[in-house]
Amino acid sequence: MPVSTRRALGAVVAALGIVFVALGAWMVVILGPSGEAQFSATSKAPGAVVIPPEVLNAVDVPVQITATRPDGGSVSIETAPSNDARAILANSAVTTASAVHFPDGALDLHASGAGALTDLSRSDIWRLAAKSPGSAQLMVDQSKAPETAVVTSGDATDLGDVTVTLTWANRGWFFEALAVATIGAVLAVFALNDLWQGRALAVRSDVGETKTSEAAV
Amino acid sequence: MTPQDLISKAAAALRLSRQERQDLFTKAAEALRLTRQDRQDLTTKAAGVLRLRREDLIRIVHVLIVVVVGVCVFAVIASAPGWGATHALLGIHEAPNAGTTSAPLTVDQAKNILNRDFAASYLGQTTSGSASEAALRTAYTDQGLRGADGRVKLASVQPAASTSPLLVPHPQLLAVSRGFGYPRFIVAQTVTTDGSLPILHLLVSPDVATPYRISMSVEMVPPATVKPFDVLPSGSPLVTSGTGLAVAPDTLLNLYAAHMAFPAKAASKSPFEADSFSDQVRAGAAAASSAVASQATFTQTHTVAPNSVYAVRQADGDALVFGVLVRTDSFAVKSDQNVSTAANKAFVLLTGKKVITKSASITTLEFVIFAVPQSGGQSTLVAAREQVVAGSGS
Repeated sequence: MPVSTRRALGAVVAALGIVFVALGAWMVVILGPSGEAQFSATSKAPGAVVIPPEVLNAVDVPVQITATRPDGGSVSIETAPSNDARAILANSAVTTASAVHFPDGALDLHASGAGALTDLSRSDIWRLAAKSPGSAQLMVDQSKAPETAVVTSGDATDLGDVTVTLTWANRGWFFEALAVATIGAVLAVFALNDLWQGRALAVRSDVGETKTSEAAV
Repeated sequence: MTPQDLISKAAAALRLSRQERQDLFTKAAEALRLTRQDRQDLTTKAAGVLRLRREDLIRIVHVLIVVVVGVCVFAVIASAPGWGATHALLGIHEAPNAGTTSAPLTVDQAKNILNRDFAASYLGQTTSGSASEAALRTAYTDQGLRGADGRVKLASVQPAASTSPLLVPHPQLLAVSRGFGYPRFIVAQTVTTDGSLPILHLLVSPDVATPYRISMSVEMVPPATVKPFDVLPSGSPLVTSGTGLAVAPDTLLNLYAAHMAFPAKAASKSPFEADSFSDQVRAGAAAASSAVASQATFTQTHTVAPNSVYAVRQADGDALVFGVLVRTDSFAVKSDQNVSTAANKAFVLLTGKKVITKSASITTLEFVIFAVPQSGGQSTLVAAREQVVAGSGS
C-alpha cells in the first residue's frame, strides 16, 4: 500500500475512532449506569393525552409512563390495541405525543379534535390500567404492540393540566455505549500511533535518499 | 483541481486576452511558489519558537486536524436526528403493524371479563329491586338480559337457578374473537361439581365502547361435546356468512324454528338431526293443545330473534352456532268459555290473571347452540334452554 494511501486511511480511522469515543462517552454520561432515557411534556389542552404506538412501541424495552396532575385530581393511564384506542377517541379532543427528542428529553405534543370525551372506563379494550389521585404510573411491555396509551382523569371529565413522562430503561444501553467508546478509543490510539510512526519513517526515508544522492555526486 | 486550472478558469470567466491571461498565469504561479516557500519558512520558525523539530510540529498539527475533524463529525451526527446515530444506539424503530390474525383480548383480560360478568349475574339473581336490575344489566345483554329478567321475576315459581354461573368458581375459557372488527365474543364453559350439565356461555361486545356481556348461558344436551377452537392468542374467526359451512347459520335456525311450529307444517329434509329438546317442545305443545281443546284453540310459533345469531369457526373448520328463538304460545278462547290459568303459576305471576275469557299468550325464549359441519352431514344440537319471559291475557 502506498504511504500516502496508508496515511489517509489512518487519518480516517483515527477520526472515526474519535467520533466513537465522543459518541459513546456522551451516551454513557446521558444514560447513566441505569440506562435511562426520559422524555417529558406538559399538556394544558382539554381532553385525553394519547401516546401512540409510534412513540410507545418505538423501542423493544418496557416503557414506564408517569402522569401527574398538579391539582391532585384523579389520573388514569390505560393501554389498548391502537385500532381500538383510535376508534374510541375518534370524536374526542386529544393531545397526541408525536415524537421524542433524545437527548433533549422533550416530547412533542399536538392537540386535535374538539368533541367531548366518552367514559373510557366502561370499555373492555384496555389491557393495562393504572389509576391514582395526583400521579399514576404504568409499565407497558412490548408484547402486544402496536398499542396506544391514553391518559385521562379516569372518567369523562377533561384533563386540564397534566405532565406526562416516558421512561425507557435498559442497562444494556449503558454497556453498549461504553463498548462503543472503548472500541473508538482503541481505534483512535492505534490509528494515531500509526500516523505518528508512519510520518517518522517517511522523514527518515527522505533523509536516507538525500544522503545517497550526495554520495553519487 | 490545481491552482493553475483555477486561474485559467478565472481568466476565462473574466474574458481576458491570451496575452493578459499568460501574464496573469505566470505571475500567479510565481506568487504561489513564493507562498509555499514562505509557508515552509513559517513552519520552521514556528517549530523553533516551540522548541520542536519541524517534522514533530507537522505531526502534531496533523493529529490535531484529525481530532478536530472527528469532533466535528460527532457534533454533526449528534445534532442531526435524521442521521439516527443515537436512535440506532437506543434501538429506536418504527412501530410494528397490527396483526389481523391475533386476538384483541389477552387470556387474562378475557378471564377478568368472565369473572366480572358472572359475579354481576350472581348478584343480580340473589338480590332484589334496583340493585338486582343494575347487576343484571351489567352482566347480560339483549335476549340474555330478557331471559335473566324473566328468571328473576319467576324465581318463586320456577326451580332455583341451576344455571347460575357463579356456582362454578373457575369458568373455562374456550374461545375469543380474532381480529379487531365488531361484534366481538367470548365463549366459555362452566362445569358444576354437583353433576349438573355443563353450561356454554356466549359473551358479546357490539362496539368499542360497550363492554362484553352475557348473551346466553345454555345447558348442554347429553351426550354432546364441543370441538376445540383455535388457540386463544390467535382467536377464532366469526362466521359472518354461510360460506364454508354445510348450512348457513341463519338458514339453519329459521328451519329449526319452522320445524317446531304447532300445528306442525310440512317440512323438507332437515339440515339438523333429531334432538330431545325439540321433541319435548313439540310434545308439550301437543299436550297443551289437547288439554284446552274444549275451551280454546292453541297455536305455537317460533321465530329467530333479530341479531341473535353468532357462528364461531372451530379449529377443524366446523362452526358452533348460537341463536335465540322466540316462542309464542297463543290461546284463543272459544265463545262463552272461561279458562282458569291458576295451574300455570308463571302466567299468573306475569299477568296477574287467573281467568281468561278471550285470549292469552306466553312468550318464551329458546336459547340453542348447534354444531354445524364444514361440509356435508347434518347439524347437531349441542345445548338448549328455554325461559318464559312474558305473558298477556284478557
